[in-house]
Amino acid sequence: PLPDDVSGDHDFQLFLRKSLEFGRKIKGDVAALQDVVCETFQLCQEEELWLVRQHLDVPAAPLERCQRPGFEADACLEQLHGGLRVLAHSLGAVRELLPAHADLVERLQLDAANLSSNIQQQMEELGLPLVTFPPEGPGVLPAVASRFHQQVGSFFLLRNFQRFLETALRALRHLAR
Amino acid sequence: GCASLSVDSPIVLLGSAVSASCTVRAERCGGLQRAQIHIAWLLDSEPLAGRQQHGPAGTELSNLTLPHFNRSQARLWCLLQWNGTRQRVAMAELRAGYPPAKPSNLSCMLNLSDYGLTCQWARGADSLPTSVALKCATSRAQREAGAALTGCSPRDGRHHCTVPRRLLQLYRHMEIWVSARNALGTAESERLRIDPMDVAKLEPPALQSIEPLPGQPDCVSVGWRAARSSAHMELQCELRYRSPEEPAWALVPNISEAAQPALRLCGFLCGTRYRFQLRCRRPSPGAYWSEWSPGKEVTTQEKAPAAR
Repeated sequence: PLPDDVSGDHDFQLFLRKSLEFGRKIKGDVAALQDVVCETFQLCQEEELWLVRQHLDVPAAPLERCQRPGFEADACLEQLHGGLRVLAHSLGAVRELLPAHADLVERLQLDAANLSSNIQQQMEELGLPLVTFPPEGPGVLPAVASRFHQQVGSFFLLRNFQRFLETALRALRHLAR
Repeated sequence: GCASLSVDSPIVLLGSAVSASCTVRAERCGGLQRAQIHIAWLLDSEPLAGRQQHGPAGTELSNLTLPHFNRSQARLWCLLQWNGTRQRVAMAELRAGYPPAKPSNLSCMLNLSDYGLTCQWARGADSLPTSVALKCATSRAQREAGAALTGCSPRDGRHHCTVPRRLLQLYRHMEIWVSARNALGTAESERLRIDPMDVAKLEPPALQSIEPLPGQPDCVSVGWRAARSSAHMELQCELRYRSPEEPAWALVPNISEAAQPALRLCGFLCGTRYRFQLRCRRPSPGAYWSEWSPGKEVTTQEKAPAAR
């Protein structure tokens, strides 16, 4: 677990403040990309896609150690680190679907990977090296048949990412208190 | 060929010694006999005397030493007499100068439109061909392993270049420095330890509305918004205002992003027209101010006449 006095540590507090700001930035870019998916594929309302959703296997990153009752600071940071890597990797599929917005998607991938490595470096500096597993799969949404399913897959990937970030920001704010 | 010229070092420190050797193979020099070979030297157009001797395997050899070579650039020629004419049979280009000067005054700015980090620096005059690169080390492991990567290289003698987003690590300190290398050595600038986000050049905020406050003739409400590209950021902003009669701006410093969407200010003269502008920067050392926002004007309320 994190050292007891870390919450008062200036560097850790600076790390949390920067991570919060970085998270807000990424969240803004994910929302912008959701708008692009809505505009480009006319996929805007989640409730219209529940049926198709059942046939998709969209990557989602667990964050139960960032929420009550299982909240644990170091385990939460480890899940954030791992989840950001998976989501950054999975965005490769979205990039293929939206070539005209490749810059935005690439920036999002870079930012997510950056925030993940910032967490890793911070944990290393606290003497808690994180185990890093290579993200599985080539970044393509697994087991999708048609182009429509890929588009729906990207819709839910971004929605999962948005929720992941909402939970992450709540946890970071809690740690920063 | 007929002759070959070798130099111990074609690039030397200005004023130091240069040794050269010209080897002539008579059998390849148009029927010249070994006894007829007289090797001569020219430094550009200045004749020099070498020490000629027989070399191995039937060659003729001349050695030359320039004790204090102090031209920035020169051509060293090896010549023979052949059929009554002077023949240039081999040449080497010599250069002299100094190791690169230490680059200085390194500063960087992050452009929020593409998240490229543009750095600039001052460089001394280069006496020799010099390759310059901006080096970046993101993590401590990279720094300690000496595995810095080249962020960018300035083009044709310029003193700035831009590190692309993919080589940056945002929200984490990086070490950045300039490395200049020529044949005589390498010089490195001081290391800049920055988080690229702390040197972001922000786009100006927008003054959306300035309204007099009913019942408070000396107060106004200033409605403002940070630029979209910095909507998620911690900010330090300042507001300036003045009326046409006043030459100097009055300044309201240390306005944080939390003061959005509106700021309440008092202490204004009644019934007076004021012009307002706002600018923002990152709340970190070395941050750059945005440009001032476009100005917005308002006339404060007249004071209500006192009841008799």
